[in-house]
Order: sequence, then structure tokens, then C-alpha cells
Amino acid sequence: MQCYVCAQSGVETVAVGVCIVCGMGLCKDHAIREDVELWEGGYPFPSTKAKKKLPRILCAECAEVLT
Amino acid sequence: MPQPTLMKRAIAELIGTFVLVFLGTGSVVTSVVFFGGVESAGLLLIGLSFGFAVMIMIYAFGHISGTHINPAVSIALWATGRFPSKDLMAYIVAQLIGAVAASLVIVAIVGTRAVDAGLGHTMPGDGVNYWQAILIEAVTTFFLVLVIWGAAVDKRASAGFAGLAIGLVVTADIIVTGPIAGASMNPARTFGPLLTETFWGTTSGWEKFPIYIIGPIVGGLLAAFVYDYVAGLKSGGDES
Ligand SMILES: [Zn+2]
Ligand SMILES: [Zn+2]
Repeated sequence: MQCYVCAQSGVETVAVGVCIVCGMGLCKDHAIREDVELWEGGYPFPSTKAKKKLPRILCAECAEVLT
Repeated sequence: MPQPTLMKRAIAELIGTFVLVFLGTGSVVTSVVFFGGVESAGLLLIGLSFGFAVMIMIYAFGHISGTHINPAVSIALWATGRFPSKDLMAYIVAQLIGAVAASLVIVAIVGTRAVDAGLGHTMPGDGVNYWQAILIEAVTTFFLVLVIWGAAVDKRASAGFAGLAIGLVVTADIIVTGPIAGASMNPARTFGPLLTETFWGTTSGWEKFPIYIIGPIVGGLLAAFVYDYVAGLKSGGDES
């Protein structure tokens, strides 16, 4: 797969990821990685923030909508 | 940030117990002061008031402090290795303060009529002796803690329904056994009205206070160990 954003400007770049929301193929420059915090536990225990975060790849458009 | 600090969690416990005692015992006070008494139908409303209060605070603060809002619950969690010893006293003190604050605020709002109405205190009913009262408190708290374990502590439980189930077991316990000995199930819930009554000169309730310490703690411990055994949960889990 090739990067959709690059393809729009006529450049062919190999995609390294896919936007989890819209499915757009993205090259390293256009992929936005956002780490999602995870909470463990909960009633009847206090929730604790997990040490590890869940990686999430987004395109610029979806990242803008979601944040 | 592993979890909220002990101070923040204690504040959540204080507020949670405040809401429980305010809405729960407040329903008794308003029934007596404004409607002239608690008929058997009123028992349903009182049961629902306590149940709703437990439910809403589980959903509001369950992920912050764990919403024990009951020393018997904190002790059962501690005794089965799920709650750290260093936090136990702070939780219990916060629960007691929250309960007393709720009773005081009820007096501030309704006036000494609330004290005359008994502040929703717990007492063995007519013909119920000390040991029977301890037994009924142990039995009802057994149900309560059993449901907490089954609906929340056990990770096989359906997510999100704990608050509803636990609120409703409190309601059922109160509707059915309220007339027997008050269906406290919670030393803090009894302590709030008791200490507040004392400020206005009524001290006769203290000799009955051990009922509401021993019964709930024994019943809660029994339920915790029985559930852990029946469900095959290892005590000393990794939850705390
Ligand atoms: Zn690109
Ligand atoms: Zn996208």
C-alpha cells in the first residue's frame, strides 16, 4: 500500500501504517502516532493507570477531529 | 500517576459515605417529620433511598477510591488481602467523618425536628434481643458483601452492573429486615446519627452500637471468605 497523502501530491511513498479510523494508508511522515492511556482495576478498587500505553495510528484529518 | 493519593481517595470515601447517610437516613427523617411516620410502604422508599445512594456513589467514585463507604466492606477487602493495611484506618476514619457530617447537615437543614425523629438511627425493633440483632446485621451484610464480591471483585462479573446489583441488595435487605434491627450493614451509617444524637443529649443508643460493629464485620468477613472459596478466587489477588 502507498501513502494516500503523498499520492494526493503525486508522490509515491510506501505506507508504513493505516489510520485506525478511516483506513488511509500512511507513510512515516504522515502517520500520527498517539498513545492511548489505559486504566486498570476499578470498583471496588481504585483505578490505576497502566504502565504501558496502547499505540494508535491516525491520519492528520482524523487526528484533528479526535483531539 | 499510579492511582489517586490516599488523601484524595479518603475524601472520595468521605463524600460517598456522606451521600449514603444523607440520602439514606434523610429518607427516614423526611418520612417522620413531613409525613408523620414510616409505614410499611415507606420502607420501600427508605430502602430505595439507601440503594440509590450506594449505586450512584459506586458509579461516581468507584474508580477513585473504590467506594467502600462502609468499614465492613473495607475490612473484608483488607482481610482477604485486597486492600493495604496502611490505607485501612484512613478509609474508616473518612467514612465515619462523612457519616457524622451527613447527620449534622440534616439537622442543619431540617432542624431539631430531625433529632426528635431519631435521625434515621438504627435500633433493634420490639422483641428483638441483642444477639438476634447481631445475627440479622451479620446476615444482611453477608448478602451485601457476597454481591460486592460476585458482581465486582470477581473479574468474571458483567462489567458495569456492580453498582445496580449492590444498590439493589441494600434495598432488598432494608425492605425486608429494616423493622428487625434497622438493616444498617454499616458501622459508619449507624455512627453518623448516633454521634449526632449525642450532641443533642440522647446517649441511649451507644449500648446498642456494638451490634452494628460486630454484625456487619462478621457477616462481611464470612461472605468474603465464602465467596473466595466457592468461586475459587485466590485471596491476596493482585488488585490492590
Ligand atoms: Zn505520506
Ligand atoms: Zn484517518
